[in-house]
Amino acid sequence: MRLILVDSPEQARGNFYPLALSRPLWELRCGFGSLAEKLIARVGTEDVAYFVPDYMAGAYREKVSGPVNDTSVLDGNDLLILDPRVKADGFDVASTGPSEVGVDEQGEVLYARIAGDDTGKPAKDDIEKFIAAARAALPNVKCSPARWQYIWDLILANPEQITADFAAAGRSGIEGTVEQPCTIRGSKADVYIAPGAQVHPMVVIDAEHGPVYIDEGARIQPFSRIEGPCYIGKESILVGANCREGNSIGHACRVGGEVEESIIHGYSNKYHDGFLGHAYVGEWVNLGALTTNSDLKNDYSTVSVILDGGGGIDTGSTKVGSLIGDHTKTSIGTLLNTGSYIGAMAIIMATGKPLPKYIPSFSWFVEGIVTKGFGKGKLYETAKTAMSRRKCEWTAAEQAMWEAVFEMTSPERKKAIKKGRRTLMK
Amino acid sequence: MATVEERVKAVTAQVLKLSEEEINNEDNFTADLGAESVQSIELVAMFEEEFGIEMDEDAALAVETVGTAIEFITNVCKEQGVDLEG
Repeated sequence: MRLILVDSPEQARGNFYPLALSRPLWELRCGFGSLAEKLIARVGTEDVAYFVPDYMAGAYREKVSGPVNDTSVLDGNDLLILDPRVKADGFDVASTGPSEVGVDEQGEVLYARIAGDDTGKPAKDDIEKFIAAARAALPNVKCSPARWQYIWDLILANPEQITADFAAAGRSGIEGTVEQPCTIRGSKADVYIAPGAQVHPMVVIDAEHGPVYIDEGARIQPFSRIEGPCYIGKESILVGANCREGNSIGHACRVGGEVEESIIHGYSNKYHDGFLGHAYVGEWVNLGALTTNSDLKNDYSTVSVILDGGGGIDTGSTKVGSLIGDHTKTSIGTLLNTGSYIGAMAIIMATGKPLPKYIPSFSWFVEGIVTKGFGKGKLYETAKTAMSRRKCEWTAAEQAMWEAVFEMTSPERKKAIKKGRRTLMK
Repeated sequence: MATVEERVKAVTAQVLKLSEEEINNEDNFTADLGAESVQSIELVAMFEEEFGIEMDEDAALAVETVGTAIEFITNVCKEQGVDLEG
């Protein structure tokens, strides 16, 4: 049986921007790893193929071993086509069985299970047409599995997901090194320190309210406090961090200061003091010293987030911090408002005041306004430098993807620049 | 109507807080007029607004002197069909 992950329509993907600008939805993280890891584990197959928006296909091919946007995978095998917004935990459809197409109340296809004999029926030159033809030709089943709707859903579900992933991993104990004095509060069964991980002296691991998983090669420096549920990714370093509950920190990050209920993708740095709470941070992000986000409004009302430069969307939650896209850098002393959207590839130079709640991708925020700054060429150079420092390559395919993102995000950026110009002219 | 040179000098004076008389065509924005990197960004923005043009950031920020800025902006205006005579 082959699992085929097909990225959602653009309108639905927009609910997961700025993170989904540069990755398919299933590469978003929650708990220990990506949504793809959870879906693949749930379905129980290693044969996985992917259909992503065309502009990111080249870059994504470099990241995964499975076929990307290759319609030949639709031939012959038993197929399970899945919308990545479906939550793995709530997906209880058998991977194999008679052909059927799961459709929600709005008529959207959430999954299609197609037995090998039936794959010959729909046309196979285009994945969307293939799904539409399957829907027309095969029995439809009404379904309403739990789904991720917005990016902040992942933030809010993260603590619970870490706890579930810890239980699913089935590991506990100390396989790395722990230098004394070090305190573990709560049950030691709720702590796992992987081989190669180092916990330096004067560290507190508090697993009283949730498990703590410190992955391979991670380093926890003195005066760090880690409160569960928490996942520290491989080769990440905590630099005297107050790592409060509900954090998922990706691969090779550097994290200091106070962090609470946040998801951080790989290779991002928040080295210094400053508070990050209920935030979702992409990869290759650098948050300058004292960068701080608000995640709670003074009047305790629910937080709204602007995802497209237009009207705000009420998250329904009183706690939502910042959404920060890949490769964005903030200067020292940056203050991020509650529910801020900071696009990808943005440069933020703080003014001492809280930033506007919406800053488009590829913006240079200078002197309190969005500008074109030094342009995208300079941003690519910086990205290249940051990646080479970690022995990663900035490839032509990656640049092509970012060029497409630049064009896609141009209307909202132009609007923000115009607004800035009006301020400048006053 | 003011010439391109006069308009470039007026914008430069406004952004860098100088008087127009202090600005010569040979002046380097950074070394002679003291423009910091943030002000270079502001200068590009203000030139675009003044002339109603869009400049390529890399090319615009590579311009070093007031004289070359005048030349550069004149060319961009021509390319983009902006009337400098009227």
